[in-house]
Amino acid sequence: MNNLSDRSRDVKLRIDKYINDFKSKNIDLQFNVSISDGFTVNCRSKELENIEYHNDVALGVTVYNNQKKGTASTNNLSDTSIITTINKAIDISKNTQEDQCHGIANENCIQEASEDLGIYYPVNMNIDEVIDMTRECEISAFDSDKRIVNSEGSSFSTSNNENMIINSNGTFGHYRSSDHSLSCIVIAQDKSSMERDYWYTSARDFQKLESPDTVGKKAAKRATSRLGAKAISTRSCPVIFSPEMSTSIIGNFLTAISGPAIYKKASFLLDSIGKSIFPDYISLKEEPLIKGGSGSRPFDSDGVITKNKIIINDGILETYLLDTYSSRKLNQKCTGNGVLTNIVIESKNEYPQDILKTMGNGILISEMMGSGANTLTGDYSRGAFGYLIENGKIIAPVTEITVASNLKDMLKNIICIGDDFDHRGNIRTGSILIDNISIGGKS
Amino acid sequence: MKDQVSFSELYDLTDSELENLISMACPKSVDFADIYLEYSQSESWSLEDGIVKSGSSNIDGGVGIRSIVGERTGFAYSNSFDYEDLSKAAAMAKSIAKQGTEEKKKIQSIIGYKKLYESESPIDSMSESIKVSFLKKIDKYVRSKDNRVEQVIVNIAASHTSMMVVNSDGLKASDLRPLVRFNIMVILKKGERRERGNSGGGGRISYKEILNDDFGIKHADEALRQANVNLDAVEAKAGMMTVVLGPGWPGVLLHEAIGHGLEGDFNRKKTSAFSGLIGEQVASSQCTIVDDGTIEKRRGSLSIDDEGCITENTMLIEKGILKGYMQDKLNAKLMKTNPTGNGRRESYAHLPMPRMTNTFMLPGEYDQSEIISSVDKGIFAVNFSGGQVDITNGQFVFSASEAYIIEKGKVTTPIKGMTLIGNGPEILKKVSMVGNDLKLDDGVGTCGKDGQSVPVGVGQPSLKIDEITVGGTEI
Repeated sequence: MNNLSDRSRDVKLRIDKYINDFKSKNIDLQFNVSISDGFTVNCRSKELENIEYHNDVALGVTVYNNQKKGTASTNNLSDTSIITTINKAIDISKNTQEDQCHGIANENCIQEASEDLGIYYPVNMNIDEVIDMTRECEISAFDSDKRIVNSEGSSFSTSNNENMIINSNGTFGHYRSSDHSLSCIVIAQDKSSMERDYWYTSARDFQKLESPDTVGKKAAKRATSRLGAKAISTRSCPVIFSPEMSTSIIGNFLTAISGPAIYKKASFLLDSIGKSIFPDYISLKEEPLIKGGSGSRPFDSDGVITKNKIIINDGILETYLLDTYSSRKLNQKCTGNGVLTNIVIESKNEYPQDILKTMGNGILISEMMGSGANTLTGDYSRGAFGYLIENGKIIAPVTEITVASNLKDMLKNIICIGDDFDHRGNIRTGSILIDNISIGGKS
Repeated sequence: MKDQVSFSELYDLTDSELENLISMACPKSVDFADIYLEYSQSESWSLEDGIVKSGSSNIDGGVGIRSIVGERTGFAYSNSFDYEDLSKAAAMAKSIAKQGTEEKKKIQSIIGYKKLYESESPIDSMSESIKVSFLKKIDKYVRSKDNRVEQVIVNIAASHTSMMVVNSDGLKASDLRPLVRFNIMVILKKGERRERGNSGGGGRISYKEILNDDFGIKHADEALRQANVNLDAVEAKAGMMTVVLGPGWPGVLLHEAIGHGLEGDFNRKKTSAFSGLIGEQVASSQCTIVDDGTIEKRRGSLSIDDEGCITENTMLIEKGILKGYMQDKLNAKLMKTNPTGNGRRESYAHLPMPRMTNTFMLPGEYDQSEIISSVDKGIFAVNFSGGQVDITNGQFVFSASEAYIIEKGKVTTPIKGMTLIGNGPEILKKVSMVGNDLKLDDGVGTCGKDGQSVPVGVGQPSLKIDEITVGGTEI
């Protein structure tokens, strides 16, 4: 238990006692605790704009009372408050209905605090140095191109976090993590238009962040590249989704294979285990313990130990992503997916360095907007911003276009994955080239 | 229950301690400081697969302290109401400024205002067993109406927030805010096809007004109707088209296309497509749009905003001319104008900023049938699942959840997967007919900005947009 802060240690001792008190009453309790502190510095127009100090606490109690469930939460860790919260959850459990699938996880549960996952790099930062670094980021953007005329500012954020789970079955898990990020949003302007774009870097380890200069310059380049965007005609063509946009498409797929979507029958991928969903050279893996990974976690929200797994093997769907409840509901084995950790896409084919060249002619999509991804039907229809590509080269930025297809077809029609992997989020993919997408335009 | 919040009773925090804290946060080197105290209780109950599976309850409380110097803000918060902890937060907030001599601040005024909703907590207004049996009743009703029902999910949620704000100008103001919501989602299956229908409603009202048969059945029928329509919907055709929007929730168009671009912060920073356009024609002369936080019991309404300013009915666009922006205190001061009661924050742990309340277009002169019959070929969009905007280039998007083809002035086949994309400052110039059927939404909207969510309302009469880009799979 060396890794616990004094505050967590104190809370754990008290929680152990409450759990014991309720054992005799045949009431099972589970506690999920998270504690986080840090700060955010914003700079704008080359000056400090604000400093926000954060410190957040959340304690959630789940009660299982004869297969009836109640949950309650609080942000106050005093004895009185925790006891009130437990009693609230019990009150609720007296009114909900019995469900045989409810109950604490009883297989592959975490028993001890995790020592080092390579995701905790606390740093003592001098606030003046942080301000200088954040200012430098925005200044680099301004200095790199005259057309950068305005900005929403640059922002540095840091936090140290502790997560803990304790329940009546003797489950105990705890880990620490840190997050650091630096972002910049700038506005480019020419005679005819004004465009914003941003860039950010984020890492568990402060040392792994891109430099302020790089972040500022990338933001500036992205914003200026959008100037003079034109409207195009409606068409069907191949589309490259940038790594950030590809992440959201893979995210839609993962939502559709999550336990809750399956047992609620709210997915376009019901009864799809063993079926071919992606092209046969694509695989998708979950790797919960990648060093420095933004999704790395030793256990899920039920305390089940997270494990490496293959989700898509040579295009075939191998498993749904099941938490304890949905696994019981579907009568399948729990996969420890009360949380989604790191997801990595792999291709047996080459990862082209210049995916624009691979495509030849088509559209590159760098931004999508709106809530048009329907994971019940697979219908996909969103607004977008992108670039017209001819002979592997960017010809012009394009605006006011829509992207439409069906997720089932989109996943099937993947042509290749670029080598430009984005490692910032928990879904790791490069650009994805997909054939046959409907693009709505102005004529 | 009393009308005024007493944090001194809740947390043993006296006025003189609050005066000390505001004095600490606002030495001579600081222009303005405020302390925001909040205590909030919420609960939700949900039914799926025919059983009330779970309920949850949450208590959150804390204090946010900010100090402002010019355009700079220092901010810290505490989830304890302990004087020592708050002193630390005040010291962190004021660290944004240079050292300054402390001045003793006095809390002088308690502002009076018209209350727009009841003070009582909706949570305690009904027993748990009534809440649970209501959910079961609605589920049973839906399943009895249609044997193709695959899934019914029904949720009810309520919250009660006590807030108080004290500032260095001597203001002290507080409010008690109820909020309730009912949602239903139905999935129907026909052959291999599954489609969804959603409905819901709520506001700053009590449970009584939503946990009754009329209300529940109205929304259950609506969700069923929508799912049914979607079962027969065909692929949408992409391209430029004439679009007629129905009344009510489609007002999300105004929220995205216009509303965000008229928030004070973006205009002070000149990052909005609407910056510097006051007095200019930005919409057709049939369009008059307001942001009104003063409507009784609405989800987006507030008696006072989170900075203690009384909410207003703010004219944004009058007969097509841009009249004003929505302001909080900081941006109003920097733009040398007055706050409009739009200073809102998600909680004590977030900084306030200019946000919308209830944003809607006033009625015009046409009947909906006249508008539809004027369209030879186009789309009639009735419901939307949500939208998004880039306030700098003005591009906005919103996604239809119920829409139909219009052929020769008649509404015909339903279409699915339709997205509208347009440019804020251009689109309202293309509004050629405004209906006389103004409707506000049912009270389930939530708006996100900079990671902060707040409840809002939207509304509009039926209206016709002469041309807008429509997204769909058919080319």
